[in-house]
Amino acid sequence: MRGIRRLIVWSFAVLLVSCGQTKRVNVEDVHVTPVTSADVQRAIHEPGAKAVLVNVWATWCGPCREEFPGLVRVAEKYNGQGLKTILVSADDTGDVAAVKKFLAAEGVDFPAYIKAEKDQAFIDGLDKQWTGALPATLIFDGNGKLRDFWEGGVTFNVFEQKVVEVLGNNQNR
Amino acid sequence: MNRGLSVALVASLAVAGSAFGLNIGDKAPSTSVKMKNVDGKDVSIADVAGAQGTLVVFSCNHCPFVKAWQGRIASVGNAAKTKGIGVIVINSNDPTQYPEDSYAEMQKRAQDLGFTFPYVVDATSDVARAFGASHTPEAFLFDKDGKLVYHGAIDDSKEANQVTAHYLQDAVDAALAGKAVPVAETKAIGCGIKFHGKA
Repeated sequence: MRGIRRLIVWSFAVLLVSCGQTKRVNVEDVHVTPVTSADVQRAIHEPGAKAVLVNVWATWCGPCREEFPGLVRVAEKYNGQGLKTILVSADDTGDVAAVKKFLAAEGVDFPAYIKAEKDQAFIDGLDKQWTGALPATLIFDGNGKLRDFWEGGVTFNVFEQKVVEVLGNNQNR
Repeated sequence: MNRGLSVALVASLAVAGSAFGLNIGDKAPSTSVKMKNVDGKDVSIADVAGAQGTLVVFSCNHCPFVKAWQGRIASVGNAAKTKGIGVIVINSNDPTQYPEDSYAEMQKRAQDLGFTFPYVVDATSDVARAFGASHTPEAFLFDKDGKLVYHGAIDDSKEANQVTAHYLQDAVDAALAGKAVPVAETKAIGCGIKFHGKA
């Protein structure tokens, strides 16, 4: 019975995603944890995922906001196929309420994060290629190896193409 | 153009702003490109170059990180200029994406902040591309021989009261003293440059 209920909920979520509609999420259900780059690295290297998509964004960043619906769509669509998505806000930790509000509006009901480390340490701790420009996206394979990195906003199609590429070439650990 | 190719093209354009960059010791590129200053005159980096060095800062109006640092940019820039370092602040953003980055708004901002140096429009973003600049604010300091001696952040915190390392000021002081810059390359999170000609 429990399995059937879960299947119905999952099917409904997939249906919403495939229709391009935003899931309804209450702000109280959004969880945002302060992280350092070391925390993010640990999450990237946790076993279980075939691909890990890391996106650093901010509520004040226009291109970040623009690409967010496509990013969330990809996260939802491939969650069941081994994609783990790590969203890290670069907003001030004091602005966590605004971050939660934005994530709720975008239908993010999976755990999210907020940067709690000085810029230089966080940037270099994540990847030295990153200049600090937002948004920044990194894709790792199931072994935690960086497979792609870019700065600037992209579309759902680009996110999907990159994720599928890594998922397709990866075995679950 | 097939879908796969167009996707790849969009992705490559997305990283174009960060694909190239100056290395410490490099000369400034695009120094003869004339850019419209807030006073209506066209000036180039070569025009403002100082006897003791040249400071180039990529900035804009709309970015919250620029807003946090702009007072410190004005303060370091104005002081450096009095000591023989030429200073120029460049807005490479496409104002159609952010009207707050328009020329009229730049004029107001320069006046409000008391810039004593040019604040110019990089109308094609090609100067930013030549520098490999990717975000705002981003500083490049060249010494009196025209060699890049510092690239990066203004200091180590967006919050003025939490600054512990004054990177740009220290670099200016070192350049003026003819000494090696203590920390030559730093990074800070900022707004990606909204390049002209990029969808």
